[in-house]
Amino acid sequence: MRQLLQSSLVLRANLRRDWIKILIWIIVLSGLFITVAAKFKTLYGTTAQIETIARTLRAPAMIALFGPVPKGGTLTTATIFATEMLIFWSLFLIICNLSLAINASRTQESAGLTELILGGYPVGRLAPLNAAALELTIVDGSFALITGLGTTLAAMPGSDLEGNWLFALTLAAVGWAFGMITLVFAQLVVDSHTANIYGYAFLGLAYVIRMLTDVQNSDWTWLSPLGWIEKSAIYTQNHWLPLGLLIVLGGGALILAFCLNAHRDSGTGILPEHAGHQRSRFLRGPLTLLLWQQRTTSLFWLLGLCLLGVSYGSIFDTLGQIVNQSPVVQQVLGTTGMHHLAHLQLLHFMNLLGVIFTVLASIAGTFCLNHLYTDERKGYLQLVHTRTITRARLYWVYLGFALVLTASLIFVALMGTMLAANQVLTQPLAFHYFAKVWLAMLPISWGFLAIAAVAIGWLLLGRQLIWFILGGSFVITYFGRLLNLPHWALNLSPFHWFDQIPLHTINISRSMAVLSFGLVVIVLGLIGYRHRDLQD
Amino acid sequence: MAHVIEIQHLQKQFGKFTALKDINLQLNEGEVLGFIGPNGAGKSTTIRTILGLIKPTAGQVQVFGQDAWQNAVTIHQQLAYVPGDVYLWPNLTGGQTIDLLLRMAKRTHNQRTDQLIQAFGLDVRKKNRTYSKGNRQKVALIAALAADVPLYIFDEPTSGLDPLNEMVFQQQVAQLKAQGRSILLSSHILSEVEKMGDQIAIIRQGEIIEAGSLAEMQHLTRNQVTVTTAKPMLELTQQAHVHQVHFKNQTKTSAEFLVADTAMNTVLSYLTQQQIQTLRTTPPTLEALFLRYYDTNQIKAGV
Repeated sequence: MRQLLQSSLVLRANLRRDWIKILIWIIVLSGLFITVAAKFKTLYGTTAQIETIARTLRAPAMIALFGPVPKGGTLTTATIFATEMLIFWSLFLIICNLSLAINASRTQESAGLTELILGGYPVGRLAPLNAAALELTIVDGSFALITGLGTTLAAMPGSDLEGNWLFALTLAAVGWAFGMITLVFAQLVVDSHTANIYGYAFLGLAYVIRMLTDVQNSDWTWLSPLGWIEKSAIYTQNHWLPLGLLIVLGGGALILAFCLNAHRDSGTGILPEHAGHQRSRFLRGPLTLLLWQQRTTSLFWLLGLCLLGVSYGSIFDTLGQIVNQSPVVQQVLGTTGMHHLAHLQLLHFMNLLGVIFTVLASIAGTFCLNHLYTDERKGYLQLVHTRTITRARLYWVYLGFALVLTASLIFVALMGTMLAANQVLTQPLAFHYFAKVWLAMLPISWGFLAIAAVAIGWLLLGRQLIWFILGGSFVITYFGRLLNLPHWALNLSPFHWFDQIPLHTINISRSMAVLSFGLVVIVLGLIGYRHRDLQD
Repeated sequence: MAHVIEIQHLQKQFGKFTALKDINLQLNEGEVLGFIGPNGAGKSTTIRTILGLIKPTAGQVQVFGQDAWQNAVTIHQQLAYVPGDVYLWPNLTGGQTIDLLLRMAKRTHNQRTDQLIQAFGLDVRKKNRTYSKGNRQKVALIAALAADVPLYIFDEPTSGLDPLNEMVFQQQVAQLKAQGRSILLSSHILSEVEKMGDQIAIIRQGEIIEAGSLAEMQHLTRNQVTVTTAKPMLELTQQAHVHQVHFKNQTKTSAEFLVADTAMNTVLSYLTQQQIQTLRTTPPTLEALFLRYYDTNQIKAGV
């Protein structure tokens, strides 16, 4: 195939560029997975412990988050592990593949690198795409190999060799399949930004379908490729069919991507671009420019989080059901008591939803804020900085927009939840509960953005640190109790400081402390931004 | 005459790397200052300090009598700037970008803007992403030239333009100059600066190595003469102020050499005696000046 000529050369160049990123992904993804596997014996070693956690996981709320607990047969440490980790780790692998896929395909093409190697060197036309696909295969393959070996060494009670390898391979395959689908999106549109949006929109859709079907009727979960992995029944029946399906899906997507790539010009997308505006009435300064640039992305996020809220809200009636509905308990509590218990359960779940929404909204806000740095790096801002616009104004515009966007996203998600929940609940949840969650989460999300802002202000090397802080806080809160983390570790996550909201009133002094931290850090960032050299 | 830009002993270090060693530069009101030097000599870094984008490590940079770093925004109200490498938001059209840039400088899209768009032949309905380097440069040039300000700074403005557009640019600069505007024009294309500049400053490895008016500079250099004669030019090498004689044939009837302006008369009368058949003299170019400078320094340095 002359079209694929020199793929290995391109691949080697790509790996040389990406190896640090790849190494970090594999270490984090495999390393954490194996660590949790090794620790699991001590957490859920006894039958009693397994019974307790299984009861928690069988609650519809938990099924919505983690997927269903295997029915029939005795539960073991390994099956609990599989239930808790499967969906969550798939998401991580998909995000890893998505980011690497866009980076190796559309980002390079927009930067003109693809043009350089295709135009000036004897490299096949499809070689860059082929190299991108190979890169993902290598990453996922390495993950599967390390994770398969690691979990086998961890030797959880109830695990078997087949299950260990099936688990590792399924996770790798779902990441790989989504990566290949992302490569298709990269052929459709002309910029990496839109390709990213398509990729994440597809992931969001797959996740929501999985969640809704899992809670209602898990037969329908086959509709979502993210649901297929649940059908593997790891450590119980060990079905290999889903793995095969994922490979077929990914392979099909890759073939489609090749066909699309072969039929388009270099540097263009399949979807046509229309001639644009000759004049602009709207654009008049940094703020309108940012609004214009971010309008599609922001709408996408707003709509996405609203839908996510609605989908969580629509299962609130099922979530409120008490798992232990034995007659004795019902008799002791009475109908009102039962309602009260269900109510408490829902309020507790709302806190967790608040955390999820806040993390997603903070990611969106940070993406937006990071444009202050990337636009400078790419040279777009050199024409702004030499106009009559102060650096302080530019900083506040980007930061202000990010803060407002984040706040709106959390609010929209919570409102979506409320509207949908009150449609299905017999006893509606009052607005003030949702408002309380919002007020409690706002300072936290702004604190995250402040950290991102100070990194840009001072050009800190730790610009990526925010992702670790965000991810870490999320993992601690989401997984903390399931992993029996000690109190001090839970306290590392700011979400834990407000984990009693909306059940209790907000601790104002705590909120104030978080807010003042944010403000100080933001001002520090401003000082840095005003006094540093701008990048060329 | 007032100095629009005045730079004294400017130094700039990036970490351990010294980008600018010692820059002294003046731009007088109503003049065009040609700022020339090879790639990486520090032209853009100097311009970026003038614009207050980066902070001097030492020295003074004043624009309109104000400190460039402290009063960047006030200064920006009175200048227009075109960067050497123009990067534009990929998803805006050229037309949108021009309007945005004008408004950010509190200016409006007027008849002159439309004239400029037409003069440069820019299709403003296309997205910036699809523009070539030259077209991106046109967008920035149009936005800058449409501004009515006392100072214009162009950093290698024509590096992506074709000869026709280059001419449009030169006409625009001539117009601005006629209106008494001050212009800083950096370039490594020497003929461009030569055509437009009143004053010239040559930068090399972070230092201004020569500065002055074009007339002063030419004084330093020599005319190149290419000549063929009927009789052999046996005494050519002995003539005063004749340098680097190179005979093109054995009979010494065809030669190339350098001669200073002042000695032209005596040399010509000698050549007439030898019966000139063809004669071509080339006025000194900045290229020659530049090369001459490098030659002498490299010889000194023993390279």
